[in-house]
Amino acid sequence: MSSLGARLGLDRWRALPLSRRRQILTPVLLGLGLLFPVLTGNAGNVDAAANAFTYVLLALGLNIVVGFAGLLDLGYAAFFAIGAYGYGIAASGQLKPEWSGFWAPLEWAGQVSRLVVPGQADSVQFHFTFWPMLAVSAIICAIFGMLFGAPTLRLRGDYLAIVTLGFGEIVPVVARNWEGLTNGAQGLGGIRTPRLFGFDFGFSPYPYYFLGLGLVAAAVWISIRLQESRVGRAWMAIREDELAAGAMGVDHVHYKLLAFAMGAAVGGLGGTFYVAKLTTATPDMFTFPVSVMVLVMVVLGGLGSIRGVVLAALFVAFLQSVILQDLTEYVHALGRLVGSDALQKVELITSLELIFGIILVLMMIFRREGLWPAVRKVSALTREQQTAAPSRGTAVDLEWARPQAAAGPGRPLLEIAGLRKSFGGVAAADDITLTVHAGELVSVIGPNGSGKTTLFNLVTGLIRPDAGSIRLEGREIGGRAPHEIVTAGVARTFQNIRLFNNLSVMENLLVGEHARLEAGVLGAIFRPPRVRREEQRAVERALEGVAIFGNRLLPRLDHPVYGLSYANRRRTEIARAIMTRPKVLLLDEPAAGMNPAETLELMDLIRAFRGLGITIILIEHKLDVVMDVSDRVVVLDHGVKIAEGAPAQVRSDERVIEAYLGRRRRAA
Amino acid sequence: MRTPGGVLLDFRDVHTHYGALHVLKGVSYEIREGEIVSLLGGNASGKSTTMKTVLGLVRPSEGTISFRGQPIHALRTSEIVKRGIAPVPEGRRVFPRMSILENLEMGRYTRRSEPGWDEDLERVFGLFPVLRDRRHQLAGTMSGGEQQMLAIGRALMTRPALLCMDEPSMGLAPRLVEEVFDIIREINAQGTTIFVIEQNVNMALSIAHRGYVLQMGEVVLTGSAAELLESPLIQKAYLGSGA
Amino acid sequence: MNGLDVVLQQVVNGLALGMMYALLALGFTMVYGIIELINFSHFSVFMTGTFVGLTVLNLMGVTAVSRSLTGLVLVATLIALFVVTMLVTGLLGVLIERLCLRPLRNVSGTAPMITTIGVAFILINLMLLTFGPQAQRFPSLLPNWRWPLMGTAEITFKQLVLFAVGLVLMIVLSHLVKRTTLGKAMRATAQDADAARMMGIDVDRVVVLTFFLGSALAGAGSLFFGLYYGFTGYYIGYTTGLRAFTSAVLGGIGSIPGAVLGGLCIGLTQSLGGQLIGVKWTDVMIFSILIFVMVLRPSGLLGVRAPQKA
Repeated sequence: MSSLGARLGLDRWRALPLSRRRQILTPVLLGLGLLFPVLTGNAGNVDAAANAFTYVLLALGLNIVVGFAGLLDLGYAAFFAIGAYGYGIAASGQLKPEWSGFWAPLEWAGQVSRLVVPGQADSVQFHFTFWPMLAVSAIICAIFGMLFGAPTLRLRGDYLAIVTLGFGEIVPVVARNWEGLTNGAQGLGGIRTPRLFGFDFGFSPYPYYFLGLGLVAAAVWISIRLQESRVGRAWMAIREDELAAGAMGVDHVHYKLLAFAMGAAVGGLGGTFYVAKLTTATPDMFTFPVSVMVLVMVVLGGLGSIRGVVLAALFVAFLQSVILQDLTEYVHALGRLVGSDALQKVELITSLELIFGIILVLMMIFRREGLWPAVRKVSALTREQQTAAPSRGTAVDLEWARPQAAAGPGRPLLEIAGLRKSFGGVAAADDITLTVHAGELVSVIGPNGSGKTTLFNLVTGLIRPDAGSIRLEGREIGGRAPHEIVTAGVARTFQNIRLFNNLSVMENLLVGEHARLEAGVLGAIFRPPRVRREEQRAVERALEGVAIFGNRLLPRLDHPVYGLSYANRRRTEIARAIMTRPKVLLLDEPAAGMNPAETLELMDLIRAFRGLGITIILIEHKLDVVMDVSDRVVVLDHGVKIAEGAPAQVRSDERVIEAYLGRRRRAA
Repeated sequence: MRTPGGVLLDFRDVHTHYGALHVLKGVSYEIREGEIVSLLGGNASGKSTTMKTVLGLVRPSEGTISFRGQPIHALRTSEIVKRGIAPVPEGRRVFPRMSILENLEMGRYTRRSEPGWDEDLERVFGLFPVLRDRRHQLAGTMSGGEQQMLAIGRALMTRPALLCMDEPSMGLAPRLVEEVFDIIREINAQGTTIFVIEQNVNMALSIAHRGYVLQMGEVVLTGSAAELLESPLIQKAYLGSGA
Repeated sequence: MNGLDVVLQQVVNGLALGMMYALLALGFTMVYGIIELINFSHFSVFMTGTFVGLTVLNLMGVTAVSRSLTGLVLVATLIALFVVTMLVTGLLGVLIERLCLRPLRNVSGTAPMITTIGVAFILINLMLLTFGPQAQRFPSLLPNWRWPLMGTAEITFKQLVLFAVGLVLMIVLSHLVKRTTLGKAMRATAQDADAARMMGIDVDRVVVLTFFLGSALAGAGSLFFGLYYGFTGYYIGYTTGLRAFTSAVLGGIGSIPGAVLGGLCIGLTQSLGGQLIGVKWTDVMIFSILIFVMVLRPSGLLGVRAPQKA
């Protein structure tokens, strides 16, 4: 820590908890924002700042789609346009439909007027008020967000981007060509400015400045609330690993559409605000370079980083409105000084897009996480914690993890019958029939390629069976979506560990609880007491879940999991699966990469889970362990169940030995 | 020139990591000229990583690999192949939308400017007549067994000193497996040293001269094929000891 | 009878356009086939090619106000023009790959694609700053001969030249890819890069070669644009690029014959669609085709691999 930093108190600042920092920053920033017009005394600066707020809104909106949910939207300007034209059409004289009774209530509400022109049919004059249109705009944009997002749900990253690019191009083309609606390339004019209690905003920048500040504050608040909620965690899980997110109960369709909707809504707010201030809207304001500009803001600031995105948006806005102008002046002066004609003619503003291109390339190559990435407060381990001998966990008495039994243990819980799946003509699962009883620990073993993981994938919904049925407590789950199966009570871990790498241990576990929590978007934003209690209990349960591993994970709760040791990543994944409160837990090679001591500890833990009443299906290659801990062992070979029974019996079964070691050759 | 019985490939004290996971933990083995050596092991033993490390697709974090006395563990794959090690990858990995002839041509890529195409082709067709019959067929449309033959033939086109085969029995019906292993023995008889990584112990040891057994990234057993076949330790290595 | 010759004219026009889109789509699809990257900068390289061609012609003394050429002089000029332009654009593509894309070779996700957007912007704006925002006239090298086909439909010398050149280029490419060892190495790398490495193929060099070839083809396509339309501007990469991109996707991304088929289809869509529905809606039509193909049939008409969910 440099002495300057220390004198500025940076180390003390960083030691404060996040909530405390926010408590201090929020009034300071708000205060500065409110006082800025007074402090600067220059109407031009206030106007520039008001325009900048539009950029900030757009960046915050795209941040939800790209930063939180990981969906690369290259056509974001479409929502900017829809919000803009939505208000523009409603508040200008563009549309003049014929009068009918339909419009009467709106006339009564003061939103439209009846135009009487002698010799013609009566028509409607639109003059919708700004304030309700803010909400209407947001809603319309949200709907379009879902409409444009829906076709992309099954596409992977770059294809998704292209489709959004397509929609992003269609909107301005429609705006340019549907002249009846939008007045074509000339654009809308005469859009009414907002009025508040009789005061007309007119063309003074000051009311727009405060309106913009309010909108930005609201958008920041909503973003923060969403990020730190069940919804935000679901988005980030999808961003990190969509497959694993589904396996933890996150419905990717629902949440992707939600991300598009929320992002579009914020963009629409920006559009409405911008156009109300500008009083005009033309198709050229919403072309591809605008989408790229918003992308530049988000990339520059840091995907998912709220403060980064705000700062970057302000920077880009001021770059465009102020900085390049000033720089150009300097260059001109320099040109006069050295007598260079070329320098005196340079207009840096025309190279704005060039700068954007350079920013994108440099950021992607050198600093993909952005200039101001999201604050990750990671507590360093104390000396004691670093050198502490690993302790075993407390007894596993997580009562909330005990499955509610419909009937006593021993009844059939998971019934697989005639299950088949082929890939390219090769049967990965060939008529598998297996019944697992409540409270059992069944191990599935077999040589490489025998179909064990395929079986897990079929049971958990990652792949659809070609034939056969899978029943959980009598209800068919075969072919259902993964998140539905999780909700029904089946959880799993993965052979090659699929954690949400950039999320912390705690966040990973909380995603595990997704299916057992209820907070939705409104609950996330407004945080009523019910939601606050829910979150608190979720954190408590997660702490208990982590404690089963003793002191190994507890000191590392807020560390991002990509930095953990292999064994700790394994443990986190297991704890995460337990958080879904499963009836059946499928563990795919949980002991891989663990030394014998760790393996023994893990097996004790698995026994403890079974003690809670959780039914366990285990794939493991350390056969000593398997034999020791299992009630029953099932052996697969080439997708076929070739043996089933007590461990000792299976181990000495000729067919099993042959499956592993190969058939003895007939002739030497 | 080659000295029969000299050490061709020397894999010494190799450690590899996959992220935080320690996969190979100080594995050593050697392959002498003219031999068939088999590397055995169950799941999660690390045997597939071994072939990737020999070929330069995975870099060892520690240890050395030498071929004919020259270190190769820091070379690029194309260099390693040029020196005389030809792979038959796990899962065959033939080029699906290229014909048999084209696949074979790719196999000979490192010797593409050298004469002898016709002889090399004839040798492969001699071992695998079915490839001659179907030489213009697209590789992706062939059966698993035929693809395996193509993969082996493709590797032979470079006249390699060492043929590395990764799980040749995988996904093949038992009868085909016998056929393939017969051919492997034939190739060895014609003078090629062969390194077979296999899960199918009995089949591999029926043609190998010597073997190494890998378990959890370490060599736990080694000896001549006969010794290994008799040993009860093999069964223990795969299926665990009694309770 | 009256309408048929109009349709025929649009078919002829559409095929000529389609050739240009096909050339542009070919380069794009080849790069995608090898490294699974959507390379936005490809279309800016195309746009840059027109300016390169313009400069080459000016250097040779052929300007916008020169008369058209015939005979041997024409042939020699065309050859020089195409060779130089294709070389320059090819090298530009290689430069982009080395500087901006190779560092990101092992990065998954959309970072590489975003980088190509950045490169595209850089190229577009460099051209804008150098040559100005106005459209530039491209010298009309080719004489304006035309021959009647049926009714009002006719075919121009320009179109015939474009057909001929395009055909020659495609035959050369096809020979290269199907019959030379290097071309087969390219195909092998596109089908299984790791297995290609195991054959001793230098995948890095194959990638560079692919970029060179693809960008050179874009350069050829750019000359088609200049010769056919008689003008160029810094913005032509957008619309033409979109159409070429749709061609590649429609034909099956990664498939070389698919790129040609897709290009011809989109060319026909543009001219016939423009005639029947209205020129100002062509962009929407083509975008809609793009979206439909990506959502409903991502492997396209001739494509082999449907891009899987990651």
